Amino acid sequence: MKQNEKILHIPKIDLGIVIDHIPAGQGIKILEIISKYEEMKDVVVSLGLNYESAKLGKKDLIKLQMEYLSPEIIQHISIMVPGVTIKAIKNYKVHSKVVVQPPKEIKSLLLCKNPNCITNTEKHVPTLFRTTDAEGKKVKCNYCERIFDLHELETVV
Amino acid sequence: MRKDLISMEDLEKNEIQEYLTMAEKVEAMPLEERVKLLPGRIMAAMFFEPSTRTRLSFESAMHRLGGSVIGFAAKDATSVAKGESFTDTIHTVESYSDILVIRHPGEGTARLAAQESYLPVINAGDGANQHPTQTLLDLYTIRKDLGKIEGLKVAFVGDLKYSRTVHSLIRALMKFNVTDFTLVAPETLRLPEYFMHSDEPGRFRFHETERIEVAIQECDVLYMTRIQRERFPDLVEYEKVKDSYVLTAEMLSEAKDHLRVLHPLPRVNEIAYDVDNTKFAGYFPQARNGVIMRQAILLKHLGVTL
Ligand SMILES: [Zn+2]
Repeated sequence: MKQNEKILHIPKIDLGIVIDHIPAGQGIKILEIISKYEEMKDVVVSLGLNYESAKLGKKDLIKLQMEYLSPEIIQHISIMVPGVTIKAIKNYKVHSKVVVQPPKEIKSLLLCKNPNCITNTEKHVPTLFRTTDAEGKKVKCNYCERIFDLHELETVV
Repeated sequence: MRKDLISMEDLEKNEIQEYLTMAEKVEAMPLEERVKLLPGRIMAAMFFEPSTRTRLSFESAMHRLGGSVIGFAAKDATSVAKGESFTDTIHTVESYSDILVIRHPGEGTARLAAQESYLPVINAGDGANQHPTQTLLDLYTIRKDLGKIEGLKVAFVGDLKYSRTVHSLIRALMKFNVTDFTLVAPETLRLPEYFMHSDEPGRFRFHETERIEVAIQECDVLYMTRIQRERFPDLVEYEKVKDSYVLTAEMLSEAKDHLRVLHPLPRVNEIAYDVDNTKFAGYFPQARNGVIMRQAILLKHLGVTL
């Protein structure tokens, strides 16, 4: 239980989502992602910066007063800041947790940069990219088959 | 079995071999037998941009299997159906036919059609992306003319930077253990670096040269492509290089006996007409092989086995 207490020593919640093991400095980035989603508009969020971490040296931490984080948002976070831990808290205890890794398939999130790609003319078609390397830094469009650096692609939200 | 033929990148070597074997069986069949294979079946040729040769090749292939053809060939994609989305067009045409052959300037269009439709979809070219039936007919031609693919020395001449045909064929040949490539291109139209990378360093050799003579002497296949004026920002540069990539009969005097000159056609001036009458000219038979390969593809994707 010691671990949990350490995590929860800023406003302690009995129910919520904790995003942990965020490399120091990246917390803001995740906050930016979260704020893009309409459904997150009224959620109470607290951000902690520069906690001591055995694993990372220093880490950031985010707590969300909500029960359920949508797969779209988790996917988005996993792509932009891979390796963070997302925990669901119930009755002050970690109910479930997952370490998010860059997904092999990224659906409906990234926009293809190739102007001649069909996803840019048929806007109702959801985009689909697959990672082509182990670190998930390069992605290939399922449609036009072009390969891009993940970070050069814009997102729909 | 795979419903669609969309991209060479989807195909393992053994799947490519299945197409080659099928084409062999088709070719061995007398014409009067072949015409009994697809009676009552309808191929929809949906050409959202013109490509006369590819369309005629597909239509001929289908007719000679006893099937029939419907379709359109538009000047541009937007004129096909005013305001109708591509996916709606697909859903309309699929109720009229048994197999869809799609040519479209938008990249990824065939993949999208294949996801949308329950019918088999054959990609007849999607922008600068893929044209798998061309690559398959090229492989078939090489194997037929030279008896094998493995271990051949293959040269590519011309626009190696933008030619989708060249890129696709190089990748496919690498799967067939062709390890020795000669690349003849002007500085500005060289093959992109990443094509020469492989997971097995040292296995493939890419010899780049600006002199076509080197390729003629050493290679088994000389694959010619057009050098398009539009590719040159500077026309002076174009004028400078265009004639150094014109193949003449005289230049072929140094060639190996079995050398085959191939070209996806149409040619502009990169192969002189006097090459046509040499034993090396393989490009018109190559176009004939296109019909045979497309027959094999139609049969395979309509579930006919031979
Ligand atoms: Zn794309």
